[in-house]
Amino acid sequence: MNEKDIKFIGKITAGVTHELNNVLASIREISGLMTDILSITDEKSFPRKEKFQTSLGKIQNQVQRGVKLTSQLNKFSHLTDNYKNDIDLNELLEHLIFLTERFARIKNVALQNQSINQTITINTDPLRLQMALFNCISYLLNQTVIGGEISISPEKKGKECLVSITYKGEGINKLSIFKDSTSSDELLSLKSTMENLNGVYELDASNTAVIIKIQSNK
Amino acid sequence: MEKIKILLVDDEKEFVETLSERIRMREHDSDVALNGEQALKKMDDDLPDVVVLDLKMPGMDGMEVLRRIRKAYPKVQVIMLTGHGSEKDEEEAKKLGAFEYLEKPVEIETLMKKVKKAYKSKFESSMMAATFAEAGEFDTAKEIRDSDEEQDEINKDKKKSK
Amino acid sequence: MDDIRVLIVDDEEDLAKTIAERLEIRGIHTQTASDGDKALNLIKSQPPDVVVLDLMMPGIGGLGILKQINLLENKIPVILLTGYGSRERSIEGMNLGAFDYVLKPCNLDDLIIKIQEAIKIK
Repeated sequence: MNEKDIKFIGKITAGVTHELNNVLASIREISGLMTDILSITDEKSFPRKEKFQTSLGKIQNQVQRGVKLTSQLNKFSHLTDNYKNDIDLNELLEHLIFLTERFARIKNVALQNQSINQTITINTDPLRLQMALFNCISYLLNQTVIGGEISISPEKKGKECLVSITYKGEGINKLSIFKDSTSSDELLSLKSTMENLNGVYELDASNTAVIIKIQSNK
Repeated sequence: MEKIKILLVDDEKEFVETLSERIRMREHDSDVALNGEQALKKMDDDLPDVVVLDLKMPGMDGMEVLRRIRKAYPKVQVIMLTGHGSEKDEEEAKKLGAFEYLEKPVEIETLMKKVKKAYKSKFESSMMAATFAEAGEFDTAKEIRDSDEEQDEINKDKKKSK
Repeated sequence: MDDIRVLIVDDEEDLAKTIAERLEIRGIHTQTASDGDKALNLIKSQPPDVVVLDLMMPGIGGLGILKQINLLENKIPVILLTGYGSRERSIEGMNLGAFDYVLKPCNLDDLIIKIQEAIKIK
């Protein structure tokens, strides 16, 4: 796919998430109106009022969840807008973790952002950086049978930026360590993405950590 | 409590009509326009105190409606309500004189607070601006409004850092 | 329908409990489980007539649970709940002997019809 194709996907996704948000906004108002009406209706004339109230509360919570998801997906679709950008790495990691949590949850693995409080700004392609990080996480998840934690910690040394993605836990599939890991789909994809980013990746000996290194354009 | 007259402008019919009903339950006046042209016509017929305006609409877009309202009815405050807006949009809306810029869906109590604030400021700013304008101090009149906005920014930042 | 007992397995607890309540209103006895272990424990201690099973779940996942159910002596029909992204998994599930599947979000009447059909076959 070339950049035009990617921008096309971004554009359509941005449009549809916008529309989805409108759907959620309507559900929220309509259930809100029902809540309003219930609050001025007395118990005697409305059997099971409490049941209705808790159910409406659940609708509101789910709407809230939907709004968060659509807004993060919308933000994701805008990654295709600009290929060279000043990126707040911490913010990018938070965004990534939010979007990939469900992939990790399937394996009962928790994702942790280990960013220290200091802000790390890097000028690079945000979409490809997300993709590289996602590949690292997927790779480690594929090595994992079940359970544990993947921590992501960024570090900046001059113009170079390092992100270590490390699995901690007992769930690593022992057999995978002896396999030729460089032939895995995730690592092949990671390799080409890193080339596009003018960076490299390293795998540690125990196969439980991937480190990516990229240079900031500025 | 004073009854505020609100005009809601949004092409999402079910959303805007329900919102309108909820506002009326809170004992304010509320009317609905489904597009920019309709909104401007309603402004001519019956001037509201506050307009709640969607940014993205078919036909005349929200930014243009905002521009026209601020030009023709500078005393009417406009609250922009948008889906996934950008900082650029927010900047432009504020530059065009929008009172507030909120993301959809907004909690009704939050919206009502902003509406009341906009309503209050409509009187305060027009009274103060008139007083200072009489004295020839246009800049002071502008400053009063700007400092309000600054305070809002501070409050917003405080919320974020929580 | 008084004697039908259905177990609903889904990690989305709000969803599982709401479907359960709606089935209860229609006279179907229900239980819910939010993960594989809980589901298998319930199946062993109080075998249901039908299991309604979400495919996308943490841990051993829906397919893993289905395989475990297949190992039981008493065959319990399973209806799969599937989402957009899990077409391949649903096919695999059907190949593993699931009775039928319904797409999420599901229409309750369709689900009930399928539950009744599953019981007839049993």
